[in-house]
Amino acid sequence: MSEKKKIVLAEDNSTLSLLLKFRLQKEGYDIFIAKDGKQAIELIEEHNPELILTDIMMPYISGLEVISHVRNKLEMKVPIIVFSAAGQEEMVLKAFSLGANDFMGKPFSPNELVIRVKRLLS
Amino acid sequence: MNDYQNILEYFNQLPVLVKLVWYVSFLLFIFILGLIFYLKILRNNLRENEKKRIKYQKIYEENLINYLYAGDGIEGISPEQRVFINNMKKDISNTFNRNVLISVMTKLVNDISGEIAQAIHKFYFETGLIDYSLLKLKARKWEIKAAGIHELTQFEVKQAYNEIEKLIKHPHKEVRNQAQLYLVNLFQFKGLKFLNDLTYQLSEWDQIQLLEILQKFDNQEITDITLWLKSNNLSVVKFALKLAKVYNQFESKETLLELLKHNNKEIRVETIKVLGYFYDTDSKEYLKSNFHDITEGEQIAFFKLLENIADQTDQHFIIVNISHPNFEIKLMALKILKNINQPKFNTLKLAENDIDVERIVEFIKNN
Repeated sequence: MSEKKKIVLAEDNSTLSLLLKFRLQKEGYDIFIAKDGKQAIELIEEHNPELILTDIMMPYISGLEVISHVRNKLEMKVPIIVFSAAGQEEMVLKAFSLGANDFMGKPFSPNELVIRVKRLLS
Repeated sequence: MNDYQNILEYFNQLPVLVKLVWYVSFLLFIFILGLIFYLKILRNNLRENEKKRIKYQKIYEENLINYLYAGDGIEGISPEQRVFINNMKKDISNTFNRNVLISVMTKLVNDISGEIAQAIHKFYFETGLIDYSLLKLKARKWEIKAAGIHELTQFEVKQAYNEIEKLIKHPHKEVRNQAQLYLVNLFQFKGLKFLNDLTYQLSEWDQIQLLEILQKFDNQEITDITLWLKSNNLSVVKFALKLAKVYNQFESKETLLELLKHNNKEIRVETIKVLGYFYDTDSKEYLKSNFHDITEGEQIAFFKLLENIADQTDQHFIIVNISHPNFEIKLMALKILKNINQPKFNTLKLAENDIDVERIVEFIKNN
């Protein structure tokens, strides 16, 4: 029996987190939800996920700091998808320079997210 | 008992002014005590409401997501979803519950697109939440009206157009602002029709918001902006100038040239900037011949325009303005001269005694 792939989802919009959790669980992934960057780092260190989904703007620690921590401190090569809102183009460029693999601009389709997750985990 | 009588006698013997101070102090003490109790009750109520809100938010989040994934993948509503809608209809008759549900839906609809977003919109209609939003438009309080318009914008209710168009001239700024956002979010350029006879001023922030919304949409039919460029409302003209630049409205060039004679200085300066963006040569001759009659701001804007379109024919005009008292114009004149006639620029240093010019020439040569 193959083990479920783990995904850490860092998003401060609780409704969106729940929706994505439900959708990704249906696809057979194990989802860990963080409501801010601080929790995201704790979950990443604890569960060593196969993929990270993170919003850019979050309380306490931003998505950019999460990416920086994962790439520079934990030295993990796990794929990272960043969520960004309109007007955060500069932030997205910073996220890529820090080591993000992909980004999705809000509003986005959960179905499209699933396609990108599958592609990165295949 | 004896002590009490002694105190009473002592109090009665006090001078009137001291007695008055005691009375006032007592009243203040009672007032502060009452205020403390009131604040304590208020704080407890707020905490209780917050707890209740969090509790209902969690319930509605879960319910809404179950509803969204209970669909059968076709256009209609599944029996499971219908049960949920019926339950919700009862729940939302309570204002508190309704507000929590709307906030949950809004949070999601802002971040999600595609089928799920459509399903949320459908849910908004099916539960009758739309009727509550429409009812808010008739409310007396401006904040309720504004909230109603905001909800109708979030859930893309185009049917409310006639009702909301009437509110575009509402005396309260927030209601007007929400009405503008509704019209532009849902009808893009067609929604800008309200500019035709707008009497209120559009603030800079309003203009930025409207432009930002318009730029979210691709392949839109751009309305003729000439009427707005000719508006008596200065803010509408300024906004139209922004539209002319962002959407390259070169067709409106004739009207833009007329705006060079507008009685408002800011409009004239902005017009020169837009014409400069279009690399327009017709405006060049007009501005050159009227250069001494226009303000310094316009002169600077004109030189910025010349930076893009100046040629050999402008050389005399440029050389004359190298000795302009304004430093910015002087700098631009020298830069333009270098671009259109480098040998002339190189010999200029010897011909001029102006220290500023010499320094600028050195700077331009080295950069």
